[in-house]
Amino acid sequence: MIQLESITRSFALGKEQINVLNDISLTIHEGEFVAIMGPSGSGKSTLMNIIGCLDKPSSGHYLLNGENVSDYSEKELASVRNRSIGFVFQQFHLLPRLTAVKNVELPMIYAGIAKAERQARAEEALAKMGLRDRMDHLPNALSGGQKQRVAIARAIVNKPKLILADEPTGALDTKTSMSIMEQFQELNREGVTIVVVTHEPEVAEYTNRTIMVRDGRIQSPSVADGR
Amino acid sequence: MSFFENLKMALSSLRAHKMRSILTMLGIVIGVGAVIIVVAIGQGGEAMLKTQITGPGNTIEMFYQPSDEEMRANPNILLQAPFKQEDIRALEQIPEVKRVVASSTQMSAARFQKKSIDVSSTGVNQAYLQLNELKVAKGRNLSTADFLGGRRVGLISSKLQEELFKGNNPVGKIITVANQPIEIVGVLEKPSGLLAFGSMEVYLPFQTWKIIYGSSDFTQVTLQAASAEQLQTAGKKAANLLNKMHNTEKSYQVINMEEMAQGIGQVTKIMTLIIGSIAGISLFVGGIGVMNIMLVSVTERTREIGIRMALGATRGQVLTQFLIESMTLTLIGGIIGIFLGWGASGIVSFFAGWPSLISWQVVVGGVLFSMIIGVIFGILPANKASKLDPIESLRYE
Repeated sequence: MIQLESITRSFALGKEQINVLNDISLTIHEGEFVAIMGPSGSGKSTLMNIIGCLDKPSSGHYLLNGENVSDYSEKELASVRNRSIGFVFQQFHLLPRLTAVKNVELPMIYAGIAKAERQARAEEALAKMGLRDRMDHLPNALSGGQKQRVAIARAIVNKPKLILADEPTGALDTKTSMSIMEQFQELNREGVTIVVVTHEPEVAEYTNRTIMVRDGRIQSPSVADGR
Repeated sequence: MSFFENLKMALSSLRAHKMRSILTMLGIVIGVGAVIIVVAIGQGGEAMLKTQITGPGNTIEMFYQPSDEEMRANPNILLQAPFKQEDIRALEQIPEVKRVVASSTQMSAARFQKKSIDVSSTGVNQAYLQLNELKVAKGRNLSTADFLGGRRVGLISSKLQEELFKGNNPVGKIITVANQPIEIVGVLEKPSGLLAFGSMEVYLPFQTWKIIYGSSDFTQVTLQAASAEQLQTAGKKAANLLNKMHNTEKSYQVINMEEMAQGIGQVTKIMTLIIGSIAGISLFVGGIGVMNIMLVSVTERTREIGIRMALGATRGQVLTQFLIESMTLTLIGGIIGIFLGWGASGIVSFFAGWPSLISWQVVVGGVLFSMIIGVIFGILPANKASKLDPIESLRYE
């Protein structure tokens, strides 16, 4: 599913080159539920951005579903994000002026899906998240947990095989966090590969495997190949 | 993503900041409105000047310009009336000529009681009335019987009424013109329009005028053709006929209206262009306002742009979204501006006594132009939006 081969990502800071990711090799199989953990500044966000095709590695190869996306143009990457990856963010990142159902429709707009089908699929996804009676609410009128469920509905609506969640419980209370993580577990049982970036061990406990990142390198003993 | 998706999105984000959108639009509204007003009034003025030259009823004026030899042979030739009665009768035989309007004018003293004023006294033939150039405000117009019988009746201008009668009703009063008694049967309307000045005038049936002044010649001849197309032909034929009858080469002429009309068209076009480009500056300023607000909007919506990119929007789609948004802004402004300009030029023409013309070309041009303004001034902000880094944008607070 995800295959990283000696990925390096460096940024120029003045004259200096700073390697945020250092020769990372990592494989995540289809159907896994993985947590990426590490202290702030460890490079886990950069790793996440590369896995999410928001950023390109400075060197190394990234194969996503067998496609070598490290060679892709920005336009092709946009299409990969649209078709193959669902994002869930800490701050939910819903568009404040759009209702829940319109927010969920967004990825389908960029996928070029016709209006009627968009609406039907968005409603279906929201219903699956238990938000049948919140469809026409603006994000402001929703609780944190509800907002995150709308975001999850938006992430799954294009039926991607991979969901990337960046601190998905960071802005939620413990009880809501638990229910969101259970939601992810359920999606994982349906076959969706899920990668969660977190610094909370309780969150990582919901996953099958934890990858520790420190100083731009993978540190965990169960490193390269899980299972 | 379809155009309509983009349009709907654009409308909803414009609605989200109503006040700001309206104020930004106002610049475009005023700019487009000003250009429309200038063009409408310019075109209206051009049309008015052209009809004033050609005359309202397909008319053309004849004039007499003696050659040097004729002047040498008869130094007083310019003081004499150039058109004889038989000329008029001959002109009336030309098939393209519908009517021959002839008149003769002399300066004379008009007297009422003890007051005497110099007036221009014009004898007109009956065709003059049919062209309806004399509109009577008080009393009656000259009648067929007045013409045939050579009755001693006349019309006076409203200015003369003011001077000679101090505004009292002169109808039925007797004045003397060149020491001959004339009964006033009517007062003419005050002249209106840009180029009209009130003057002291008396109009008499030509038969009467002939007796008073002892001359049966006409100083002015105007031809009326059956249609505008026949006007030039009628004019040429008339000039040739008179030159033949008077044995002159080209002393009798008609004004070449096509050239005149073209000349006037050019002058008004240049005027419209000059004033229009001044109005265009305000449109330019409005466009800069749009660019400014769109730049603010891009900065404010950095996070939205990041989210859209993460969800699969390409840079091209983000660019298109913001371009269509600025185009929608200027298009709505432009349409409102067209209506505003239409209304305002109507009001201006009402007070100036000057028609305004809004052609469909101007409306279509205005709509297209405001869209183009939106694209031109939207490119910079839209480009900025599309160049944003999705990772940075997602982090933007």
